[in-house]
Amino acid sequence: MASTKTYTAIFVALMALSTTQAAVEWLGLLEENYWPILGVILVLSSLKAMAVAGWFMHLREEPRSVTYVALTGLVGVLALTAGASYSII
Amino acid sequence: MSDLPPRSSVKRWLVTTNHKDVGILYLLTSVFFLVAAGVLALLIRIQLLQSGGTILSGVGYNQVVTAHGFIMIFWFLSPFAFGFANYFVPLQIGADDLAFPRLNAMSYWLYLFSGVLVLGSFFQGATFMGGWTAYAPLNVPAYIPEFGEVGSFATIVALIAFVGSVTIGSVNFLTTIYRMRAKGLRMRDIPLFSISILVTVWMMLFAFAAYLAALIILSSDHLLHTSFFALETGSGPEATDSGSLLWTHLFWFFGHPEVYIVFFPALGALAEMVQTFAGRRLVGRKWFIISMALVGIQSFIVWMHHMFLTSINLEIKTVIMVTTVAISLPFDLMVFSLIYTMIKGKIRWKTPFLFSIGSLVIFIIGGITGVFLGAIVLDYSFRGTYWVVAHFHYVMASSAVILIGAVYYWYPKMTGKMYNEFLGKAHFVTSFIGFNMLYFPMFIVWETPRRVFHYDSGFTPFHLLATAGAFIFAGSFLIMFYNLFASLYSDRHVDESPWAYASSPEWAVSSPPPLDNFPGKPSFASGKLNFLDRAGTDGGAKSETATDGGVATGDETLAPPEEHADHASWWPIMVSSSVLFAGLGISGLSVSYAVWPFALAIPAFIGFLGVEGARQDGFALIHGIYVMVAFPLTVALLILFHLGIGIFEAVGNASPYFWVGLIGSVWGSYTLAGFGYESFEVPEPKMAEQWPFESVENTKLGMWAFIASDIIVFGAFVGAYIFTRFEYGWEAWWHIAEDPSAHTMAGQALEHHPVLPGLINTYLLLASSFTVVLALTAARHKGNYSLGPLTISSRQATLGFLGMTFMGAAGFLVNKGIEWVDLYLHQGWTFGVDVMSSTFYLTTGMHGLHVIIGMLVLLFLIARTYTGAYVGENEDAGTLEYFGLYWHFVDIVWLFLFPLFYIL
Repeated sequence: MASTKTYTAIFVALMALSTTQAAVEWLGLLEENYWPILGVILVLSSLKAMAVAGWFMHLREEPRSVTYVALTGLVGVLALTAGASYSII
Repeated sequence: MSDLPPRSSVKRWLVTTNHKDVGILYLLTSVFFLVAAGVLALLIRIQLLQSGGTILSGVGYNQVVTAHGFIMIFWFLSPFAFGFANYFVPLQIGADDLAFPRLNAMSYWLYLFSGVLVLGSFFQGATFMGGWTAYAPLNVPAYIPEFGEVGSFATIVALIAFVGSVTIGSVNFLTTIYRMRAKGLRMRDIPLFSISILVTVWMMLFAFAAYLAALIILSSDHLLHTSFFALETGSGPEATDSGSLLWTHLFWFFGHPEVYIVFFPALGALAEMVQTFAGRRLVGRKWFIISMALVGIQSFIVWMHHMFLTSINLEIKTVIMVTTVAISLPFDLMVFSLIYTMIKGKIRWKTPFLFSIGSLVIFIIGGITGVFLGAIVLDYSFRGTYWVVAHFHYVMASSAVILIGAVYYWYPKMTGKMYNEFLGKAHFVTSFIGFNMLYFPMFIVWETPRRVFHYDSGFTPFHLLATAGAFIFAGSFLIMFYNLFASLYSDRHVDESPWAYASSPEWAVSSPPPLDNFPGKPSFASGKLNFLDRAGTDGGAKSETATDGGVATGDETLAPPEEHADHASWWPIMVSSSVLFAGLGISGLSVSYAVWPFALAIPAFIGFLGVEGARQDGFALIHGIYVMVAFPLTVALLILFHLGIGIFEAVGNASPYFWVGLIGSVWGSYTLAGFGYESFEVPEPKMAEQWPFESVENTKLGMWAFIASDIIVFGAFVGAYIFTRFEYGWEAWWHIAEDPSAHTMAGQALEHHPVLPGLINTYLLLASSFTVVLALTAARHKGNYSLGPLTISSRQATLGFLGMTFMGAAGFLVNKGIEWVDLYLHQGWTFGVDVMSSTFYLTTGMHGLHVIIGMLVLLFLIARTYTGAYVGENEDAGTLEYFGLYWHFVDIVWLFLFPLFYIL
């Protein structure tokens, strides 16, 4: 387990990144540049998810195999979503 | 605590959690479903005696065909294999039981009761009629005759309960195989049957999760009238391209791996039998295992070969054709490995071997005819014909034939008696002839349309032949039932192993094995199986039993009673039975129109948490509070419903579904609270091979496996949203609902995305994640916290943080409630008004449901913490950590739902 200080820092970063995501929309950046900003927003979400998984769920301290269990699920879902979506483009 | 009654007592079978008992229950129950679905199959064959049918109406035939598929695939094949898995995997890996015995019993009871639900659906008007593939739009209410609506939905509910059983079982087997192996047993050395089960449960964990998502979406189309699979328009429902394609994608992403899920356990058993009766180690064993793993992975990237005749593009079809042909290659390797083992060995022509070689022939025919279907051009002609029917019966039923061989193979181990060899061989001959008479003519008259009982009258002789074959095949099972039953009372006793060259560990213990499996602590550390003294596992070997060649030297196989040998519990059957009642009640929602019996489950659960907590941990203030809160909550709900619909009229005119639903939800609340509170320690083995999860406790690994499966469930919801949005045009999405009369979320969105409610909820959920971490930190903190003049004990701090988590979650729900009321009531943006609203409500609603479940678990944790659990030197805070994993996962899901549904 990490220190309370680390957890607090992660929490603050998570709140800040969430605010950034909303701010990007409020500032009208999304309308101007839809696809690049979409990428930015999703990257931010992924960063947040990695922070929660890495620190709050202690994946950093577990054997790497536990991460692989979760990643397998993620890869499966990406295959489904990408395959299905590509099939109708 | 040896309070497990003897096997002659009925109670034993209701409370047992022992893996061998559960295995026998699975086997017997699945045979019951085999007979049920077999009778349906005979009805199909009788109907097909002549073109135009004989005894069934069109609607009756549709029901029979559909139920035959569902029951054979879900309630017979997999559970039959898992009966063996339950019985033999712990024996083969040197474990005393599965990692979570009580959950294992629950898997079984959920399976049984889900089966009761699906059979019961026949008597609720009509069971589902759209085929086991349940293609859209024939799976939504508007395309189902009114008399079939309740029964159809009951089938869906039964499937959901079945998936619950499968998921619990998958998590259990994964944890067991990774964490409970005897010392020295490396992953690669696990017997092939157990390896095949490992690959199977990996596939199950992910494939069934996608099916669960599909079934939940389908339920939502039934109950909430959302527009996923067909659009609910003012002038009636409308089938949509995106809806029909969405179902096929979700279904076959599950459905194709399901084929291997059904086949792999049988393949593992086949490999074991070939080894035993050829008297030889499998040739290329390592490559056989690698091939299985490869097929397991590849099975998730071939699903669109079931969709060659849909509107998916040619590029993806080509890719899928390649992956499909590629998946046959590892199978070729496995088949050659089996054949070569037979050639190199010296065959003993016992009944199990006859079934093995017979099924191999059948499987080869099924496999080759499948490759035809994998070619796009050929599939254009073959699709929807009896070529498909014949092909998949040759594949799927070959696994049944293998498993019948496995019955003969393991029968002596399970019963301690030998079957009658002559009758066994007679069974093989009749069944092999019957099987091929039944299915081979279907290849010849392949132009017969599937699921239709009208065909070219020139085909009639072949259908006659098939029907005759069906009766021979079915009749052959009577020989087996007689043989197995009579042999049980014969005097043909067997010792450890009746097979000269059986080499897996189950053959090193007595037949049947003792309750706790082994005469000592099994260990492979010396290179072969030893049984060590249990008292001190570092002590010397007590007895030594060689497993090669069956020359067992172990003289004592009846183990001394073990303190952890049984975990008798009533709760698994009680919890599962509540699913039966609740499921029945839910199935009738479309006629009973009463949701509130199910809403009552929440206050009922809180009240029972108080009552059960007081019983188990001694009465404390917190228990009183829970009970006191439950009453006003119940009353408030009743008042709310009275104002809404008028309780007295509702109860007066209530349908039976209403009462069954009420019983189910209250009974479910009580039993879940009791299940949670039952003290149930399963000691983890001190000496076990646990690569690659050495430092991860069983429960944590189980939790992560569950989360991995939940990633698929949520991912499938999100995937459904992304797919649908692509179909309608990603950027045009917000314009879908451009209805001038409706001030919808979309309307706002076009002006300005409604980011704020989502952002507030993101803050709340992140904060509650943070407080869960702090609660765990506090629970593991030694000593008190001092804040200036204030001193707070670590228990108080833990309680405080758990309470804050609860409040954060409550705030999340309140905020969501305000948002929903505004959208739904004030703006008229109902569930099914367009696909956008459907995806929004269902995906965020499912997430909200996870939050509610988390809050109920939090109440349990708060009560337990209050009464002395989790915090302090001698307490294990693990439970808080495992809950945290769940809660953070729910948080992560929201981190993606927020941008997808509120920003982009």
